[in-house]
Amino acid sequence: MNGEILRRFDTITPGARRVLYAYAVAASVLLLGAVLNPGFASWTSLRAVLVVAAFTGFVAAGQMLVVLVGGIDLSIPWVLNGAAIVLTTTSLGQSVRLPYALALALGVGALAGFANGMGVAWLGVPAVVMTLGMNGVLQGLSLGLSKGLTCASCGSYAPQPLRDLFVGGVAGVPAALLVWIGVALLMTVLLTLTTFGRRVYAVGVNSRAAFLSGVGVRGVTVALYTLSGVFAALAGIMLVGYGGQPSLGLGDPYLFESIAAVVVGGVSILGGRGHYLGVVAGSLTLVAVTTFLQAQRVPEYGRLMIYGLVILVILFAYGRDKSHD
Amino acid sequence: MRDRLGYVVLVATIAAYLVVYSSSLGRLPTSFDYLSILNTMLPLVFVAIGQSLVVLTGGIDLSVGGIVSLCVAVTATIVTGDGLAPFGWVLVVLVLGAACGAVNGVIVSAGRIAPILTTLATLSIFTGLALWVLPVPGGSIPPVVRNVLSNPNVPTGLIWLGVAIGGWLVLRRTRFGMRVYAVGSDETSARAVGVPAARVKLGVYALSGLCSGLAAVFYVSTTTAGDANAGAPFILTSIASVVVGGVAFSGGRGSALGAVAGAVALTLVIDVLFFAGIDPLYQSLFQGLFLVVAVLLGTVATLVTRRRRAVT
Repeated sequence: MNGEILRRFDTITPGARRVLYAYAVAASVLLLGAVLNPGFASWTSLRAVLVVAAFTGFVAAGQMLVVLVGGIDLSIPWVLNGAAIVLTTTSLGQSVRLPYALALALGVGALAGFANGMGVAWLGVPAVVMTLGMNGVLQGLSLGLSKGLTCASCGSYAPQPLRDLFVGGVAGVPAALLVWIGVALLMTVLLTLTTFGRRVYAVGVNSRAAFLSGVGVRGVTVALYTLSGVFAALAGIMLVGYGGQPSLGLGDPYLFESIAAVVVGGVSILGGRGHYLGVVAGSLTLVAVTTFLQAQRVPEYGRLMIYGLVILVILFAYGRDKSHD
Repeated sequence: MRDRLGYVVLVATIAAYLVVYSSSLGRLPTSFDYLSILNTMLPLVFVAIGQSLVVLTGGIDLSVGGIVSLCVAVTATIVTGDGLAPFGWVLVVLVLGAACGAVNGVIVSAGRIAPILTTLATLSIFTGLALWVLPVPGGSIPPVVRNVLSNPNVPTGLIWLGVAIGGWLVLRRTRFGMRVYAVGSDETSARAVGVPAARVKLGVYALSGLCSGLAAVFYVSTTTAGDANAGAPFILTSIASVVVGGVAFSGGRGSALGAVAGAVALTLVIDVLFFAGIDPLYQSLFQGLFLVVAVLLGTVATLVTRRRRAVT
């Protein structure tokens, strides 16, 4: 019986195995938390972890897409923050304006992502430089145009329907969670069942070989960066729906957290390998660790150190490069 | 051409600085202006040198932010006394920086974890340690250290800048320097001809940590106080300096001198924007554009030279 399971395990592809590892880590973190602090396993606490993990999950979805082709998106913090500011300043808290404001905020994200993609794919600017520059550009524009978030319309809140949705939820289930399930389905279908998905992995494994076999490498790259911008904007919209008002620096924690979630989720940082289901587990793991440490009243310095150590341990477990020898 | 990108950008930035300054104030910058620029830019120059060494081997060091923060916190706490004692403590800080870097090096080379991920994790750990050492901003530095490192009246900083540049010029001609380029150009080939790639990587991360330690000491010396979050901005600015300085992210091409030029240019851009009367809120917009445009210029220049070579 046991041998049967082991044999089955051997037949799973390495990609699926990494996803399993990611879930095993997430499960053990949650379990450990529940053992050490009984309150941690309560539905209210789990629900809070899931909602917070959803925000990391949205951002990590975009980050994962560009990491799959060996890129990186450092513009996430201010795409997110910019979209959040656009949403409240154009909607002015009025429900009628919500559809336009939503379209505009997502449009800002798509435009920033598109520009990133064009810079990387057509102008040959390294991804780190292009997205770092874009982050600065958006930070300057957000700060400058909103006069450091002191403009007349900057005090407005997100429209009530959006806030009801994200604070209240739909039939008791938090809306952020429902959107996350939708995003997870979309990402999984897009990457595993469509030709676009096959192309993404082909470019990630070897872009030259993909190009020679007729994949429009540049088009794929631009599409992925655009999607990353849209996901970051989506996260900004939901954060503002959840919190009511944007703040400056809202997106800053998500830069490194998105990269960590992607890698803890078993996606190779070199590109070409990984599934979004793993990234879901990665986001859960990271948020569960932080939430647990906060619940235990571990001071900030301790949280930072343990967070770093946990990432290192996970990397040692399944994030190592192949040996040269 | 690409190798000289940093110097071209630097010259252009200096020209812009002089034009904007003199048209705004009606006179040329005084020695006081130069001195304050020198003292402000030194920390970034050091971090950029360390970052460029790591990038030359094809890696990246995000933990510079954490190491600078930790060393700033430690410097502001333990460097006290008068006479020679504070300089002993400065040495301790530098050793600490190098040790932190060596930890990165061991994880990257022996643990085979991608540099960006290793240093992402250690960034969090070092930042945590910094907060533990110095929970609230504060601390001090003895005036005797300040007089030697970043004297507000005499350009002592020039000496240290010279030492840093001289150190690089010597280093690149040593066997270690050659090996850094060899590992960065093609690690497999370098291994095949007997370059101890693991030890070289350990060396560059340790040196990057040492540079971050130096930067921290100069930071505290200039600002006369410590802050456990002081290092965070250096992560992105050091990468930007290296990029503007023409060091290739694929490794093996470029030099630390270029990164120094990039760091100086990036520091000067802030002054250019200030004297041009641009709202400080828009500052990062222009820094972002500056970064992308500088790199685009490098790409265009490479294309042009390549085409010209193809014609002749």
